[in-house]
Amino acid sequence: MNVEKFSYDNQIVKYFTIATVIWGIVGMTVGVLIAFQIYLPWLNFDLQFTTFGRIRPLHTNAVIFAFVGNGIFAGVYYSLQRLTKSRMFSDLLSKINFWGWQLIIVSVAVTYVLGITTSKEYAEAEWPIDILIALIWVAFGTNMIGTILKRREKHMYVAIWFYIATFITVAVLHIVNSIEIPVSLTKSYPIYAGVQDALVQWWYGHNAVAFFLTTPYLGLMYYYLPKAVNRPIYSYRLSILHFWSLIFIYIWAGPHHLLYSALPDWAQSLGTVFSLMLIAPSWGGMLNGLLTIRGAWDRVRDNPVLKFYVVAITAYGMATFEGPMLSLKNVNALAHFTDWIPAHVHVGTLGWNGLLTFGMLYWLVPKIWNTNLFSKKLATAHFWIATLGLVVWVVPMYWAGLTQSLMWKEFTPLGILQYPNFLETVLQIVPMYVIRSIGGSLYLVGAIVMVYNLFKTAQQGSFVANEAAEAPALIKENNDKFNSHRWLEKRPIQFALLATVAILIGGIVEFIPTFLIKSNIPTIESVKPYSPLELEGRDIYIRESCNSCHSQMVRPFRSETERYGEYSKAGEFVYDHPHLWGSKRTGPDLHRVGGKFSNMWHYLHMQNPRQMSPGSIMPSYPWLLEQKLNTELTLNKINVMRMLGVPYADGYENQAVADLQVQAEGIADDLLNSGIVVESDKEIVALIAYLQRLGTDIKVKPAENK
Amino acid sequence: MLEANDLCNYYAIDETPGISKRDSIIRNFDFLEDPDLIQKLIEFTNGNITTITFDIPQMHCSSCVWILENLYKFDNGVINSEVNFLNKTLSVKFREKETTIKKIVEQLDSLGYLPNLSLDTNRDDKLKNEFKRLYYKIGIAGFSFGNVMLLSFPEYLSYTDLVTAEFQNIFNWISLALSLPVFLYSASEYYISAFKGLKKKIVNIDVPITLGIFVLFFRSLYEMFIGGGVGYLDSMTALVFLLLTGKVFQNKTYDAMNFERNYKSYFPIAVTIKKDGKETTIPVDKLEVGQRIVVKNNELIPADAILISEKANIDYSFVTGESQPVEVFNGEMIFAGGKEIGQAIEVETVKEVSQSYLTQLWNSSAFNKKHESKIETTVTFVSKYFTFIILAIAISAFIYWVNTDVNLAFNAFTAVLIIACPCALALSTPFTLGNSQRIFGRNKFYVKNTSVVEKLAEITSIVFDKTGTITETLGSKIEFIGEKLSKDEQNLIKALVLNSSHPLSLKIASLLSFNKKLNIENYSEETGKGISGIINGKNILVGSRKFVSNKNIEENDISTNVYVSIDNKELGYFRITNIYRTGLKEIVSSLIKKYKLFVLSGDNEGEKMNLLNYFESEKSLFFHQTPHDKLNFINDLQNKNEKVLMIGDGLNDAGALVKSDVGISIAEDINNFSPACDGIMDAKSFKNIKEFIRFSITSKKIIIISFIISFMYNIIGISFAVQGTLSPVISAILMPISSISIVVFTTIATNFMAKKRGLL
Amino acid sequence: MSAIIVLIGFSLFVALVFLGAYIWAVKSGQYDDKYTPSVRMLFDDNKIESEKDKHKNT
Repeated sequence: MNVEKFSYDNQIVKYFTIATVIWGIVGMTVGVLIAFQIYLPWLNFDLQFTTFGRIRPLHTNAVIFAFVGNGIFAGVYYSLQRLTKSRMFSDLLSKINFWGWQLIIVSVAVTYVLGITTSKEYAEAEWPIDILIALIWVAFGTNMIGTILKRREKHMYVAIWFYIATFITVAVLHIVNSIEIPVSLTKSYPIYAGVQDALVQWWYGHNAVAFFLTTPYLGLMYYYLPKAVNRPIYSYRLSILHFWSLIFIYIWAGPHHLLYSALPDWAQSLGTVFSLMLIAPSWGGMLNGLLTIRGAWDRVRDNPVLKFYVVAITAYGMATFEGPMLSLKNVNALAHFTDWIPAHVHVGTLGWNGLLTFGMLYWLVPKIWNTNLFSKKLATAHFWIATLGLVVWVVPMYWAGLTQSLMWKEFTPLGILQYPNFLETVLQIVPMYVIRSIGGSLYLVGAIVMVYNLFKTAQQGSFVANEAAEAPALIKENNDKFNSHRWLEKRPIQFALLATVAILIGGIVEFIPTFLIKSNIPTIESVKPYSPLELEGRDIYIRESCNSCHSQMVRPFRSETERYGEYSKAGEFVYDHPHLWGSKRTGPDLHRVGGKFSNMWHYLHMQNPRQMSPGSIMPSYPWLLEQKLNTELTLNKINVMRMLGVPYADGYENQAVADLQVQAEGIADDLLNSGIVVESDKEIVALIAYLQRLGTDIKVKPAENK
Repeated sequence: MLEANDLCNYYAIDETPGISKRDSIIRNFDFLEDPDLIQKLIEFTNGNITTITFDIPQMHCSSCVWILENLYKFDNGVINSEVNFLNKTLSVKFREKETTIKKIVEQLDSLGYLPNLSLDTNRDDKLKNEFKRLYYKIGIAGFSFGNVMLLSFPEYLSYTDLVTAEFQNIFNWISLALSLPVFLYSASEYYISAFKGLKKKIVNIDVPITLGIFVLFFRSLYEMFIGGGVGYLDSMTALVFLLLTGKVFQNKTYDAMNFERNYKSYFPIAVTIKKDGKETTIPVDKLEVGQRIVVKNNELIPADAILISEKANIDYSFVTGESQPVEVFNGEMIFAGGKEIGQAIEVETVKEVSQSYLTQLWNSSAFNKKHESKIETTVTFVSKYFTFIILAIAISAFIYWVNTDVNLAFNAFTAVLIIACPCALALSTPFTLGNSQRIFGRNKFYVKNTSVVEKLAEITSIVFDKTGTITETLGSKIEFIGEKLSKDEQNLIKALVLNSSHPLSLKIASLLSFNKKLNIENYSEETGKGISGIINGKNILVGSRKFVSNKNIEENDISTNVYVSIDNKELGYFRITNIYRTGLKEIVSSLIKKYKLFVLSGDNEGEKMNLLNYFESEKSLFFHQTPHDKLNFINDLQNKNEKVLMIGDGLNDAGALVKSDVGISIAEDINNFSPACDGIMDAKSFKNIKEFIRFSITSKKIIIISFIISFMYNIIGISFAVQGTLSPVISAILMPISSISIVVFTTIATNFMAKKRGLL
Repeated sequence: MSAIIVLIGFSLFVALVFLGAYIWAVKSGQYDDKYTPSVRMLFDDNKIESEKDKHKNT
């Protein structure tokens, strides 16, 4: 008799499920907060810990890694065990995965609020947390691969392939993007600079979307949808084709985030083409999902789970069509830096990720608590509220994006800008921001309804931590040969360590060639490294996440050169570790701001933006005027920069702080002349130094406008 | 059993699970203990663990999958079992020490999933491996193609970008590395086929393709490393990828069409089934597994079955070519294609009727005729010279351009090689005729193979048999002339007659009453004469007067008479009036304009007056024809260079059917399948005979048109190619498109014409 | 722009890993049956299921 009895670990699923729900509420609440902050600047409370710049990455990271992340784990841990007919490889690794992940989230929350950030989108965590992420991710992957190796079902269902792809690719992406040299425990600089950093960042950024927000969810769709509707996936063949074509193509689409930037033309076009090619496999997945419900559409009527799935999959289709469209150069010229992009993002995140997660939770919680859903009515209500919220979020943002973009580009018949004042274009769309915040609030309300529903469901049910199961073992024919792999399979921790080493070796081997190849961004003679004061000021800019709202990339369009000045050249960014091109213009582009405004203007503006620009929605930064600049790390920073190729003279680090103080005093004196009394060792002075430096290296007459 | 093994989910899973079990028969699976047989059946064994794959056509739903994969719960010795639903197979792994194949089969049988124990599994494995190899090649080609294309982008887009120049070299090396597996492995089957052809001094279509790939590859190497350019590796990998994908699509298209023909066509044989003690006839495609059927003398056993009667005499000449009958006993298996010789037997089917299997037997039997297809000869002629012509054109184009623009010269050369496609030659005929065959099948005219369609277009004379062909059996009147038969006598006659499948026997049986099952011995049937047997010790004879009582018939008898005698006492005769099929007049009048018509009858001249109503000329009517006479008649016609279509009932004109160019037998709810014929037509479709012939002629025309289209396509394609304006990649895309479009055209054209003629 | 080489390198590396996985999958017969797995994953073999099934409506 070869039937083996074992049990599925439902405990870990329960933990992840609860975490998903809690972080979902947290992430969405922060989202609602920033949505309100953006047009009610007083909601920043003039406190550095609650300012928009620091809170926004809290929202993005919470919803992506805390909400979706835990959702992925919950979904994978449940489905993988049943698809492989085996319990998870190691209960210990499961626990490490869970607690480690929550630790990461908490660390991230604490550090962002304190201003400890790398400024790289969706990778803002500083290097100690990056290491932790890598370790926990490896634990997850080991656990997953170990389970697959000891499976009792020979065929690997397509969902499993998606999970594997997620693990491997995210591991590589994370490691490559996070290669940084620490300056201190809480500060580091990436080894890439300028254009290269931008490319790596968006190679990571887009693939994070692909392999964290899409592939795992496709895997979940291939499992939970058939289960919910109790019919096999429409075409299993198509799902196999879908998987393999997606995995070969997705990696290349990254450059579409950098169109019209200083990235070489051919790299940009490459991104466009491959993005367009992505439509086919993505829609293959969508159709496969929707067609699975053919003939059972009546069940959608009274099953809230199916309702969520249908809209989620449709949103996926929309987003994966819109994405390639946005990668077309002419469309991109219009949409980039505007609210159109967040609209696109939220169709995917609120629609595809959010709704699918909700549907999955409504199915999963009753299952593992052995009962029925507490209230189908409430779940249906949630569905409608969420869908409404999604629409009310997204539509105003499309409107806002288009409106603002057209305003930016508009010229009078005489050939000058119709709206030379950036603020005017902002005020025009504030009503849209208001509507969007209502949409977000609705979405949050729906989620709260869900929490109640799920809580009552759990209450009325009886949870079984270990679900009994049995299945015959898979016997391999050659039992006699010593199989090193199987030896390893029985030792989870060693396996995990070896896997980590393998990935790291792969990473390092790939890396050595780069250091041997000299970068050949055409260097501009006049571009010089930042002075120590400017470097510190730059780090403050990073700390306050100014790049969340301000871009530093003037595109080669007349409407931009008229407004901001000469368009940005690749060579100007060679010393930017990290790049700060930004991806959104909630406020104006700053690449050519150097020399445009007086030091006094900057001082008063940072103290309270509305003093200089009435109606401005930018938060106030009064603490910059109070806090002393910390120069303890300046020496280290110079050293690290030099290590990364910035031509500071040898030994300059010993000179750095002195130079810094001289430059600071110069600025403080100038401010005094304008009637502002400020100590030269305040942070504001450093920031002003940096801002005044921006874009001045190439000596072109700045355009005369505000 | 389900409950005991905790498998109640079986019913929860599907609404109509399982096979309904009829009254069980004690089947004997002892033969599964034979070690030689076991050796042939299993896939793998190491003495401890054994794997065997069963063919289980009965599985039809998800519950079936579920229960078959839970087999280990019924039998401890089973380690696991895996279903392949589309192939309807079950792979079982078990421990030798704890269970046996026999036990597993018994288990499956009791669940209602009796496996089909044939020995023909090797073919599937070979196909599977072939498919796998194709998928490897496509995977590698696709992967390389995508990534090489990416790396070629710089060249497409920026000409002055300094950055690109630096990286060009690296990109070239990476492209080369990616292209090598494609060049060496993925494209290998084209090289191998070309080489094999050349060895036999045949230049097949893979030769230009191979040449094209080689040119692209080596030219690229030259360009990249000596010329300092970028090469064409993107085109090369794209070409191979598209060719391979085209192949997959073609195979799938062809399979889909073949599949249709094999499993959905009407196979006009009827079987007599026993239901609730009563006998009824149903068409053979409605026959289910587990049904009891009655097989009469000379009737075909349509599917593998177990013998219920005590004894049977099976003639397997259809299957094995051996005409020595095999004695089969109760409980033993009789294989599809065998024929019962002797009295009627009762069998229970254990497998579904495989029409493709029967068709296969039909085609492989000793009755295949020689036929010189005009189309085939044209095809062979053209294909011989086609490749040479293409090569000549390609080389001329190259020479023409080489002094003006080397690039253009190479482009033209490769494009010509790739775009030329003789696909129409290979595809038109089988697809058109195949589709026509399918359309015929829909109209209840089942032809043996596609060449029959072609031959049908060529006929000039039509010969009709009388009885059962142009006359109806079912509707005819019957009465007994003589002293009224007693119940006993009726019993005896009917008992004898029930063993025969002759239409007259059936007619007689329908008249008589019957209440006792009687034992019969020495049953025998003589073609053209009569049947005899000993029942209850009495000698019964039914047939012609000469056969029954050695007397000659009276003159002026205008009906068909079947005489009866019991123990040499002539009791009288059954008079059966001929009724001609409805629409016969229209059929004849429509045919007589174009064809020479003849009627051959084994009967006396009594029907002459009636027949003249239809056929006008006395010269076309022949009576008292023995089977041998009929054969000679056909022969004479053919000596006069006529192409003859013979329509008979397959009983006493087998020889003539074989001799004629096309032999068709008419089926009327009776199982009189004769392998001698080329086609079987349902009696109800007889009135369409003119349309069928006409459609065959149309099919030939469609084939010619498709040749013309292909020719035009090649002309246009090549004229663009020689100008050098066609990139190899575009050529690669157009090539499979052309072959698919020919297929689509012939299919649509035949379907359209069929609709127009009312055949669809 | 040397970053592009790095990225191409890593991407190719990942893609090659997946090509290897693809070949393994075809070879070990993962795709011999492209239909039954979609049905098989619907089964719940547990005893608890068969009792619960009566109360279930999702």
